[in-house]
Formats: sequence, structure tokens, C-alpha cells
Amino acid sequence: MPKDLSPEIGRKTLLASAPLTLTGGNFQASQSRRRPRIAAVVSEYRRYSHAQHILDRFLWGYGWGNQHHHPAMDLVSVYVDQTPKNTLIHDRLRRFPSMKKYSTIAEALTLGGNKLAVDGVILIAEHGNYPRNKKGQTLYPRYEFFMEIAKVFQESKRTVPVFNDKHLSWKWEWAKEMYDTSKEMGFPFMAGSSVVVANRLPSIDMPMGVEIEEVLGLAVGGIDGYDIHALEAVQCMVERRRGGETGVANIHALRGPSVFEAMKSGSWDKGGWSNELFQACLCRSHTLAPSREGFNHILPKFDDIIKLINDNDNEPVAYRYEFLDGLKATILLMEGLVGDFTFAARLKGEKQVLSTQFFLPPREDCNFFNPQNNAVEQMFLTGKPTYPVERTLLTTGLTAAGVESIWQGQKKMDTPHLKINYQPTTESTFRRS
Amino acid sequence: MLNRRTFLEMMVVTGIAAQLACSDKNDSKKRKKIAIIASIWRYQSHAQHIGDRFLVGYPSQGKWHLPNMDVVSLYVDQKPEGDQSEARSKEFGFQVYPTVQEALRCGTNQIAVDAVLLIIEHGDYPRNNKGQVLYPRYELFQKVVEVFEQDGRSVPVFNDKHLSYETSKAKKMVKASKQLQFPMLAGSSLPVTWRIPSIELPLDSVIDEALMVGVGSSDASDYHALEALQCMVERRKGGESGIKSVQLIQGDAVWRAGKEGRWSKKLLEAALSRSNKLLGDTLIDARPQDLANNGQLPILVKEPAAYFIEHIDGLKSTLLMLNGAVQDYTFAARVQGMAETQSTLFQLPPRPNVAYSACLVEKIEEMIETGKAPYPVERTLIVSGILDHCLESKIRKNKKLETPELKISYQPPKESHFCRM
Repeated sequence: MPKDLSPEIGRKTLLASAPLTLTGGNFQASQSRRRPRIAAVVSEYRRYSHAQHILDRFLWGYGWGNQHHHPAMDLVSVYVDQTPKNTLIHDRLRRFPSMKKYSTIAEALTLGGNKLAVDGVILIAEHGNYPRNKKGQTLYPRYEFFMEIAKVFQESKRTVPVFNDKHLSWKWEWAKEMYDTSKEMGFPFMAGSSVVVANRLPSIDMPMGVEIEEVLGLAVGGIDGYDIHALEAVQCMVERRRGGETGVANIHALRGPSVFEAMKSGSWDKGGWSNELFQACLCRSHTLAPSREGFNHILPKFDDIIKLINDNDNEPVAYRYEFLDGLKATILLMEGLVGDFTFAARLKGEKQVLSTQFFLPPREDCNFFNPQNNAVEQMFLTGKPTYPVERTLLTTGLTAAGVESIWQGQKKMDTPHLKINYQPTTESTFRRS
Repeated sequence: MLNRRTFLEMMVVTGIAAQLACSDKNDSKKRKKIAIIASIWRYQSHAQHIGDRFLVGYPSQGKWHLPNMDVVSLYVDQKPEGDQSEARSKEFGFQVYPTVQEALRCGTNQIAVDAVLLIIEHGDYPRNNKGQVLYPRYELFQKVVEVFEQDGRSVPVFNDKHLSYETSKAKKMVKASKQLQFPMLAGSSLPVTWRIPSIELPLDSVIDEALMVGVGSSDASDYHALEALQCMVERRKGGESGIKSVQLIQGDAVWRAGKEGRWSKKLLEAALSRSNKLLGDTLIDARPQDLANNGQLPILVKEPAAYFIEHIDGLKSTLLMLNGAVQDYTFAARVQGMAETQSTLFQLPPRPNVAYSACLVEKIEEMIETGKAPYPVERTLIVSGILDHCLESKIRKNKKLETPELKISYQPPKESHFCRM
């Protein structure tokens, strides 16, 4: 972890040190014939780490558009924060001599010189050995890395697009500072989970401009890691509702037996979530745990669900949150019940529930990174984020608020800081071709 | 609430479930009755996958769907260890009969069901020198037909996977369905499963060349791959014209054929770009691979096989069986007027749910409800014949074989029938 930039000397110091004269991202590369040069700032590079999935796709290419696609840009530098025993960084440097490893973030961005020398930056601080706080958050140094990057921009008087993998920071104030910095310095900034761009089964998007009453996302995993994926999945759908995104008014997180009580209530008004939406999610899952021996696919009842979940080591989690425009949303993390990500929504005036599965291909290949890589490449080529970073700012805030709600004894909390407005992209951005 | 299951559970307790299930009494009159003729019924067998969905329902378009029909009788050819036929019959109130005839007549002297499912996959049956498992599909189907003939009434029949392993017997099966005029649906779940991306070739496309990548064993998995290929190419201009010749080659000859242009490397690249289960180096450190071009295929695939299919209208379609390189089924085609190669993955959702079988059951139900097969049995007939002749080519030193027997033409359904809603 970089030691020369403590959180205290964050944006304010950085911005105060030099007047803000920078305008939007500078796309010399895309304007000239030179292939864009990309720097990566990552926590660790080992099998199945996000850095491996994303950077390997820049190096080897990946399946896209009916062919093996090679990005029209070069990954030229990498900063790796940690090198565990099983690191792949040395292997990759040997195989791809055009990629150089630097010992600081600044060097990676300047290619060892004294000025920003790349056309795009990828920040991946997921996985690695970082401390965990008492609330259960892993203190991944996304903010710290980001501020180092911004410092180079500032000193070079030039900015380039930045992609931040997954949520912004575990800490809301820092996440907000990352966002504000990108706005004030005027560089394209994109972030988030790969779930939002994954193939969907069926291949549908939320129709633009509809009124939505209630939504549910059913997923797996635990807090601070998988909640963000589920929140992003829900958000990329609901942001398309009438009026666009308005922000979130409050959140109530549940964990353990209280999740079962909420489930049994069968509706939002009774403290749970719509059972109709829950059933729709179960029906979109392709990995529904059989509740009876000898049956391979059977719809579980509440008691079966409780048993299936209790038979595994992970406690169930529910985040119930209300948007400022009245929309009600729930995400459920239910290990033991399903192994995939599904979504259901009740639209105003529609009898039929809208539902789908965010399809995540098997772990060995992790091809859900293909569309994410492609979206990042698009930003590097066009200088425009493929989808709004405000989505991830909101889901980052929801993740932190959900964790906080659990920490405070599963208390319902108002979220005045999450009054985040934005408009979705008109075009769908998930993989469908 | 008294649902069907608890109702039947009560009936089992009182010992009258089976009797009621086959009778024409009460409100069961409106619900269609189904007989299942299976090779075996044990966990994860095709009969269990398909049969259970009629008993406990299945997900369809985001809802749990309970078919408006009942399994009333079952014949199982074998009862291996793990047999579930007795347990299911007790729980769901149908009877297991010792013969096909009795299953169809529910112990009476007249056919007493509205549809028959013939699920003869899995079980202990011998193999011939072509590697075909001698599943008694034709033989059991004949017994079904005999009942139809004797009782003067025919009902829709679903035949799981290919028809008979032998082309002439497969043809007789289809002929009987035409003569007795009963709807017949058959085949693999691959044509109806989810596709990623969710594409269909436009009807009346002019296809220049088509290639399928498959994996697994012969003659179980190559069948699935061939039918997936066929459901795509049958949509070309003029429909299916029939097969002129087939050839199955193996070993290094497969790679040489690629170099000579007998199959398209570009189509292979497109197909493999859809794979989500690459093997080799991807298993070591999760790296993506351009397997069509990185020289790894001959190292990874120890026993490659290419199935060349020459259609009467000139189309050449190819199945490459690439065990060791991938673990999924992908397709690519070059279509005139379309700038990009068309390619997709036939997604097979994992065990235990194997949700692809829900897609198939939806189509079986549709036939039983409407009395019309949603897609032509000729597709399955032609693919049964293609496989039979390819395996013949295999044992005849990979010789190209003319296939006058497979001059089978048919038109594809106008509607798409794969899972996409």
C-alpha cells in the first residue's frame, strides 16, 4: 500500500496544491493513430483475482463479437500492491514484455518519467491481504490508489479516463471524494460490478420510463463483497424507471433469523418483500438447491428454504431500501438456497412480473469479465464512460449503509447522503450479441 | 390448502390413489393423462428429469408452472439400484405396470391415456461395433403402436433423444406416426435450451457454411451436437433438402482437413469465442485463450473427430468433437447478407437442476395440449440417420458414404422454439 498518501491529505490538499486548470479527459491517443497505452493499478495478480481476469483479457484477448477479440490498445504498465506466493505477475511480465511493472503508482502512470504517459488507468483493488474492520468491511485501498492517480494527473496537468473495479471505497466519505475529484478534475470515470453487463436469461432490459413498484434481487455471498454485486444488478435495472434515478431515502439491513421472519411475512408492508417477486427469482435461478432428496429441481417452501440456508455456514442477509420516489427494493444474499443472481420487478399496471437471471459463466473462465472489459475499452476509445459512475456511487453508499445498519443492530437508517440523481444510458449496455 | 399433492398423499394413505388416477371420474376428466415408458427411472436419469417435471412442476417464464395433466402410469424396462419408480408411484398416485400395453391401458382393455412419453435413455443395454447403445426405442415404440392399432385410437407420442440407433427402424417409427396420424415429437433438449446470445438464424437464410463444436461421448453426446446443428441449418432457404453424404474422420486427419479448408477455422474461432468452458491453460490460471489459433488444439484434443455432412442442396455442415479443449456446445455459421459470422452457445444449465429439460418439457406439454408437434419429427429422424451413417463411416475406415436413405426433406417451424422468455 502506498505510504506517502494518507487519507488526511486527500482531495482538498491535492486540489489546493495547484489551481484546477484541467479540462476533460485528454484523448491524444484516440485522436492520433497511436494505440492507447493503458496503466493498471492493482492489489494483487493471482489466479481468480479480479486483476487476473481483467488484465489477462488485455494481454490475451477474449471472446467477443463472434471472434477472439484483441483490444485496440496496449497494457503497458502495472503497479501491483501485493505479491503473494501464488502471484502471476512474474509469469505475465515474462510472457508479455511490452508490459512493465513499476514499484509505485506514479511510476506506473508516468512510465518511470515525470509526466503522465498513459491514456487510461485501470484500478483494481479487489482481493489481496488487507485488514478487515469490526463491521466486516475489507479495507481495500481503492481510495488511496485513486488519490495517487489523481495526484499524478494534477502534477502532469493532464487527465485520462479511469476505470475502478467494483465499488469505489468501503468508506462513503472517501467514495464521494473519489467521485467529486473526478468531476472537479474533469476526467471520465467509470466503475462497478461485471454483473450489470453480463448476459441475461432471458435477454431483457427494464423498459425505459416505466413506473416500478417493487424490485427484488436474489444473490449469494456475504456483506461487503457480494452485496455490491446484487445492489448493482438491481440498480442497473431500476435506474431506467420514469424520471431516472432519484436516490435512496432509507435502508434496513437484516441478517440471520430476522431474514426468515421478513421472508415469511410475504410482503414489503409487513416488513419483508413480495413473495411473488421472490418466487419469480427462484424460478429464474438455474442453481436452486433441491429441498428434497432424490429430486433435482423442486420449488421449496419457506420451511425448506430456512433449512437449506441453515445447512450452510453463511447467514442470510437482506437489505430493504426505499428510494426517494417511493420505489421499494430488497436484495437477498441466500447462500445454500441458490448459486446465481436473479432479479424480479413489479411494474405499475402490469400483471406479469418482469424477471431475469444475470448469467455468470463458470468460475474457471469467468467470462462475465468479457463484457466488462469491453465496456472499459469503449471508454478508453471514446473518452466517455460507457455507463454512469453515479450508479456505482449510489451502490457504494448502499453497501456501506447496509453494513452500517447491520452493525447498529439491524437498525433502519435514513440515508440523506444518498440523494443521488442521475439518468441512465438510453441504450442497453449489457451483453446481448 | 388442499393441493394436488396433499390430496394424493391422502389417497395413498387410503390406498385408492392409483385406482382414482386412471379412472375417468370426477374433475380429473379435464386433465390429460400421461403414460411414461422409460428404460430406467433413477436420480438424474432422463426419465427422472422429464417425468418429475410433470409431477412437481418446473419454472417457465419466471413462474413455477404445474402442468394441467397427470402421469397415470409408468412402465420401466429396468430397475437398477437407486430405482425411484416405486417411490414416485406411491407418492404421486400412479401405477407401475409390468408391460407397455398395461401401462397404456391402465390395466383396462382399452387405451386409457392421452399421451405417451417414451424416455429410453440410460440403463444397462449392450453396444454394437459402431459404438451405438442398443436402446430399445424402436421395440418399445412398436408396442405402443400395437396398442394404438388394436384399440383404434392413437395419442401424441414424445420420444426422448434420437429415434432408433438404426436408420431403417427410425424411419419405421416416423412412418407409423404418419399412418396412424398421431402427433410425434422427438429429440434432444439442445435445440430448445437457452442460447447465449439469444439468436436464431433468419428463416430462408442462405447459409454458406455451418460448424458445430461438441463434446462428450458417442453415441450419446454427438447426437445432441448434431441436433443442435440441424435445428440451426434447417432454417435455410428451401428448408432441409436431405443428406447426400456423410463422413466421419478422426485423429490428425481432422487438423489436416482444417488446413485444407474442409472446415473453416474462422467459424471455429467464432464458435469457440462463445465457449464458457475452455480447458488446457485456462484451467491452470484462468487465462483466456484463442484456441482456434494458438496451436493448442492438437495438444489438448487427443481424439478429435470431424463429422462432415453434405446436404442435397449443397450446404456443408460440420461437427467437430473436441473433447479436451472445451466442455460446451457452440455453433457458428456464415450467412449471406450478414456482415458478421453468426455464433452462439447452447447453454446447458448445470446439475442438479439441468434447467434445459424444463425447456423440453414445455414443448412436450405444448404438443399434448394442442395435439400438434411444435417442430417436425423429421429433424430428429434425419439426425438419427446422420449419426447412424457417420458411425458407419467410422468403422468403414472413415470412408465417405453416400446416403440415399437420408433423402428426407422437411420445412422448419416458422416460430422459434428455444427458451428465450
